[in-house]
Amino acid sequence: MSEVHCEIIRERLPDFVGGRLAPADAAQVQAHLGECLECRDEAALVELLYAARPAAPAELAKRIESAARVPLRPAYHPWWGVAAASVAVVALGIGVISRNPHAAEDAEVPGIVAGVGEASIWLADDGLVAGAPALEGLSDEALLMLLEEMDSGTTGGAA
Amino acid sequence: MSHGEQPGLASDEALVRRARDGEEEALSALVKRHQDAVYRVALAIAGDWDLAQDVSQDAFLKAFRGLGGFRGDASFRTWLLTIAANAARGALRRRGRRRETDIDTAPPVASELKGPDQVAELSAESARAREALGRLPEKQRLSVQLRVDEGLSFREIAEVIGSTEGAARVNYFHGIRRLREWME
Repeated sequence: MSEVHCEIIRERLPDFVGGRLAPADAAQVQAHLGECLECRDEAALVELLYAARPAAPAELAKRIESAARVPLRPAYHPWWGVAAASVAVVALGIGVISRNPHAAEDAEVPGIVAGVGEASIWLADDGLVAGAPALEGLSDEALLMLLEEMDSGTTGGAA
Repeated sequence: MSHGEQPGLASDEALVRRARDGEEEALSALVKRHQDAVYRVALAIAGDWDLAQDVSQDAFLKAFRGLGGFRGDASFRTWLLTIAANAARGALRRRGRRRETDIDTAPPVASELKGPDQVAELSAESARAREALGRLPEKQRLSVQLRVDEGLSFREIAEVIGSTEGAARVNYFHGIRRLREWME
């Protein structure tokens, strides 16, 4: 058995085992395996590997599809950071919290991922992305704590 | 026809075009078609079921977000798997550890991942081969896995693992040789 021929066959074994070869090529590999013990041993190993290849958990696709429908938020803006920034705006008396849609651009909102237009992004439940006040769910104590932390400069990352 | 596609179904290229137009069904089709391959790459690098799922999700979202910039120089599948590999390496770096390769922490084999019926069908030898695969160095492991599981060419494997085509071929055959030695 020529080594060159064996090399070609061995390169094709994964496609042969995976049923990805054209019938004529598959027949050629099959014929070779009938004559070559070395390649047959390697084919057996490839078959073992292929048979036990892992599959994604059943729930993964739904999880990805759900995530793809929700506008992404940047991971580096924790909820308390956004909340603290909002407190700062209020505390400085600048005015109401902005609903300027351009703020969403920083959040890398993937229109193609969400499959939605800008209007529905702004109607999202997630107040952090939508730019709605992030303080509604916080107790007075929590708000005071945030103010104190800001005064002492411990919050960081609010920008 | 690209890898992973079936006759009669829309090509990846067609699905990508539709996804760019915001068609959710196209995104879902791409997820269903490639989720196993993405998960396997993530698992091979991350070596952790939960992390592999997080990485898979991250990879798909990054890919969808970048569809506008996808020029089609590589196949969508190769491009997606490259994103998955990079995402897995990034996730490991953020965790502050490298993947262990000893047998106790090798990634789960199919017998652990599949349901009871499928487990019964898997031979002990298959599970042992898969376990041995998990002990190979990363580039050999990925080269063997991408060639055997996904049917990628050596040129495509090189793109995913960040090497030359020749190096991908060498990694594959070295990996196979070591596995054969271990399985004897």
